[in-house]
Amino acid sequence: MRSTVSFILDGKIIDLEFKNSEEFSSTSTVLNYLRSLHTHKGVKEGCAEGDCGACTVVLAEFVDNKISYRAVDSCLIFLPMIHGKQLITVENLKSPEGELHPVQQSMVDLYSSQCGFCTPGIIMAMFALYKNYSKPTREQIDDALTGNLCRCTGYRPIVEASTKSCVHNCTDHFTDDEPQIIELLKSISKESIHIQTDNQKYFRPASLGEAISLKHQHPEAIIINGATDIALHVTKNHELLKEIIDLSGVEELKAITKTDSSIKIGAGVSLNDILLPIEKDFPALHEMLKVFGSHQIRNLATLGGNLGSASPIGDTLPVLMAYDANVVLESLNGRRVIPFNDYIIGYRKTVRKPDELITSIIVQKLTNGSIVKSYKVSKRKYLDISTVSAGFKIDLNGINVKSIILAYGGMAERTKRALTVEQFLIGKRWERKTVEQAMTLIEKDFTPISDARGSAEFRIKAAQNLLMKFWLETKK
Amino acid sequence: MKTENQIPHDSAVGHVTGEAIYIDDIPVNDQLLIGKVVYSRYAHAKIKSFDLSEAKKVHGVHAVLCYKDIPGYNQMGPVIKDEPVLAENEVTFIGQAMFLIAAETEEKCREAEMLIKIDYEPLDAILTIEKATEKNNLLGPPREMKRGDADSVLKSSKHVIGGELRTGAQEHWYLETQACLSVPGEGKEINVFSSSQHPSETQALVAEVLGIKKHEVVVEVKRMGGGFGGKETQANHVACWSALLCYATKRPVKIRLVRDDDMIMTGKRHRYLTKYEAGFDDDGLINAVKLEFNSDGGAATDLSFAIMERTMLHADNSYYIPNMSVKALVWKTNLPSNTAFRGFGGPQGMAAIETIIDKIARYLKKDPAEIRNKNFYGLNDRNVTHYGQTVEHNRLHLIYDQIIKSSEYEKRCKEVDDFNIKNEFFKKGIALTPVKFGISFTTTFLNQAGALVNVYTDGTILVNHGGTEMGQGLNTKMQQIAAAEFGVSVDRVKVNATNTSKVPNTSATAASSGSDMNGMAVKNAIDTIKERISNELAQIWTQQQSNNPTIQQSILFKDNLILDSDHPERKISFSDAMHQMNLRQVSLSAAGFYKTPTVGWDKIKGQGKPFFYYSFGMAVSEAMIDVLTGQHTLLRTDLLQDVGDSINPGIDMGQVEGGFIQGVGWCTTEEIKWDSKGNLMTHSPDTYKIPTVQDIPKDFRVKLLEGAPNPVGTIRRSKAIGEPPFMLALSVWLAIKDAISAVGNHKIEPEFSLPATNETILLSIEKLKEKIKR
Repeated sequence: MRSTVSFILDGKIIDLEFKNSEEFSSTSTVLNYLRSLHTHKGVKEGCAEGDCGACTVVLAEFVDNKISYRAVDSCLIFLPMIHGKQLITVENLKSPEGELHPVQQSMVDLYSSQCGFCTPGIIMAMFALYKNYSKPTREQIDDALTGNLCRCTGYRPIVEASTKSCVHNCTDHFTDDEPQIIELLKSISKESIHIQTDNQKYFRPASLGEAISLKHQHPEAIIINGATDIALHVTKNHELLKEIIDLSGVEELKAITKTDSSIKIGAGVSLNDILLPIEKDFPALHEMLKVFGSHQIRNLATLGGNLGSASPIGDTLPVLMAYDANVVLESLNGRRVIPFNDYIIGYRKTVRKPDELITSIIVQKLTNGSIVKSYKVSKRKYLDISTVSAGFKIDLNGINVKSIILAYGGMAERTKRALTVEQFLIGKRWERKTVEQAMTLIEKDFTPISDARGSAEFRIKAAQNLLMKFWLETKK
Repeated sequence: MKTENQIPHDSAVGHVTGEAIYIDDIPVNDQLLIGKVVYSRYAHAKIKSFDLSEAKKVHGVHAVLCYKDIPGYNQMGPVIKDEPVLAENEVTFIGQAMFLIAAETEEKCREAEMLIKIDYEPLDAILTIEKATEKNNLLGPPREMKRGDADSVLKSSKHVIGGELRTGAQEHWYLETQACLSVPGEGKEINVFSSSQHPSETQALVAEVLGIKKHEVVVEVKRMGGGFGGKETQANHVACWSALLCYATKRPVKIRLVRDDDMIMTGKRHRYLTKYEAGFDDDGLINAVKLEFNSDGGAATDLSFAIMERTMLHADNSYYIPNMSVKALVWKTNLPSNTAFRGFGGPQGMAAIETIIDKIARYLKKDPAEIRNKNFYGLNDRNVTHYGQTVEHNRLHLIYDQIIKSSEYEKRCKEVDDFNIKNEFFKKGIALTPVKFGISFTTTFLNQAGALVNVYTDGTILVNHGGTEMGQGLNTKMQQIAAAEFGVSVDRVKVNATNTSKVPNTSATAASSGSDMNGMAVKNAIDTIKERISNELAQIWTQQQSNNPTIQQSILFKDNLILDSDHPERKISFSDAMHQMNLRQVSLSAAGFYKTPTVGWDKIKGQGKPFFYYSFGMAVSEAMIDVLTGQHTLLRTDLLQDVGDSINPGIDMGQVEGGFIQGVGWCTTEEIKWDSKGNLMTHSPDTYKIPTVQDIPKDFRVKLLEGAPNPVGTIRRSKAIGEPPFMLALSVWLAIKDAISAVGNHKIEPEFSLPATNETILLSIEKLKEKIKR
């Protein structure tokens, strides 16, 4: 056990101690840390909530015998979360000889910066793209850049710079430095971290067993599993989080296990790491994750986190409900497997007990021709929170509805099924006329609110129409 | 050697390496204090009492100020003095500054803020144009502009349409929020590092608020992380606040608004409610238009009247309207004072006339592009605007012909129709819209600019000018102009931070005029220096061979040399020459000045020539909507923009594309909402949605009009480019409307407003479906 957070910055290991009087606490963000250094002012704050990407940095980590490079929003990361990683900022991109990195040079050549304030973040998103894809497709480029808002250029020259620069087989001066960086990364102990100051306790356990016992000892502790939601309590509301258990160091939670009939996704797997394994067998979940936040957010966010917050507008919840997924909870008293339908019981309330951790989510493959679809209605298609979202499942018996699940987000205080509509549809012919009748029943199940994202009238209308959309996509 | 027009942005390397410095990055000594603004939580309230004593006691807090602590004048309105720096007895919007705190850390500021006690007495708040109208709460007298007799022509007109249009507010969302660093100097001196589009006004207001003379205040602007009009007047506020704290503590004070505070406290693009009527014949030729513009000015005047004036002057957009009546009312509400934003009232004016044309086309069952073409200003007749300016050098017809062909407009209209016949749940729409934008400040005296050019003895050049760099590439263009005028490579020229002690009494970098005016001022300064140099060189060379004199007029500056074109052997390198000039006591520094010629107009009568020239452009956009969710996809945009002879096509292209996409945001996903108490509901990017990379047209074809130098004498025959492309986004808005209209086979006029959010689109479709059923 240690109380020091260690990471690599500018080629050297930095050891941070958190003492009572120090400038930084364990919930200080990586962004605020970097901006306090006169050498890293290139990292910008645009919103402090992960919605603009101006603070994008890249985290390099030694996994599976190679270094992975991932773009993340530094405003959403608490310092202990980068323990054992290399923190790369825009200042590190020039070669030791002072030459611009290919992604930088193409941005200069193609007029891709104007005011320049978003540019360092964009450069870092492009750098991660460069390290992960040789000749990326337009779709991959767009995805890599979705999390970076630019108000000046209209993006076209940035896309062009990405296309033209990401062709070098991912090699650059970072490739040359890797052996040395790997040695440094290996030298940082992966043991658990406990940071205690007068007003704050931050635990970063190194094993699931330790995490479960910590939760037992500190049932009131806030669990962070990606922190893309919890971080806002600090950056926006300036709340003091008194007890925190950070699961980012628990390797057991980062596993995906597939069987013939199901997939078990560890609660700590980043959403980006889920995308590929679920693409074939769980297309509806895949569709939903593709429009979840941004690339940077998905490198941090986890299913465990999404289920833990249980927000009424959590994007993955309706579709997991439609798949009838199982949530696995563990505590010192053992393991419970909760069907998704029984998991959420109110506004951000679940059946999880204070001493329990969400450890995995199990989704069964569909059988016998059942179909699941997911939908998200939001003001902006990408990088937006849904106004209405939905996960629907249907089993047909010939032309008749055998069973149906209609789960909605954004329509009530929690993810909720349209039970009246479901009841109405069971046994009926799956045809346009029935669906049109069913649509009129939505109001019996929901009385949504009007807010910044949309009016109640719009929500009802969209919820009704999604049924029609579902029918169009599943009709025989 | 790079003297060509394709050099990159002069800060591009700084941008991509993170080395470019913004206000929050300026190195300051350990005396720096952080400033915080405490603002009103009520839209309208009397301040019965307040108590700052506990806040002042917090360890690490160095000042807590209220209005009584202002040494000078408690006003910061740019034109009309109706904006207190700090509220006195009343607050008139949520976000209005009341107190200022300076402390060693942000945490200490927050701690002190929590200890401030305020006793408010809430008063009735006006939060909509409707309520302001009901209470007759105008910000100033209404205005009218008239030509002919719209009323009687409308009565006799064969066809008349009318209606109301709402256009929404828009948040600037510059990536760098409002920020300022004030550093005390000796005695009363103060140095203000500001992110301002208008350093001279910032200087004036800081001086007034501190109660000192302007020559004690130096305002410097290196660059802004975006401005878009949002830092034309409202950067002054944060400068005044930081200057007050700096004066009170005698220490450097930095204020940087966090995003939510910036969005809550600052003004936006004015929302409008526009009422219209138009008369036309069977061919769609317009004979009369009557318009009433109602804008939400917010709690104070700011630039609302100048903005409304530009609306009135762009209510014709590109069309000759023989009988026109434009009425304009600016309403006072309990919201932050709305302010300049790219287009400056032009977009709201054009949205109205484009709606009229669109409706006429649907009414007559004709192609809207054809109606537009029919009503364009003529080349030789039908070419005088409703305010009496002749539309000279009209390029509308040229651009129309080119873009109709290059966008394959007719073929694609047919394809859109075919698609719509085959698809019930997805509909496509297409629209062409033009822009004619008047270039000049309509407040004529503002059309002036200054420069100070220094040449050093090593042959390097430092250009100071009155414009500010906010990403638009103004400094790059000034660098190119200076290099071209001196005949040297661009790497010899550096453009300095804008500084009020170098170039005084300047106008805002606004109205798209930055390059036009400052470029001419820079040239003017350089002409003076070149005149001195060539005069001296002519003497030197003539002395060397007096029987064969060098004529001053034959001396050329090119290729890093100065030479006598009549005697090519007489030449000297530019840097050697500068050394020589210094030895021979020739001044290598000169101020330059420019005022835009031939403009002037009578504001009272609404007649004259407010604009030096017009910029023209056109766009064709195609969109698809999902009939079930209201979500839209922008399939393709073709855009053709007149920039005259471009000084830097890469930079101009950036202005065209960037302005257009910002306009797309205003027209589609950017929606500002306030709650019933006047709180901004959309106060962060979580709920306020500007375009991402995924929102640009899937197929985006942008061209600058080629071989079209500006016929009027602008710098290097270029044209202004900052604002005009913004309004081309109306093509996207009307393409979406066309797609909605397709749901009813174009037989029914859809309800429509701006922005066309998914909600607006879906509810419009639903209403259309109900009408079809009936």
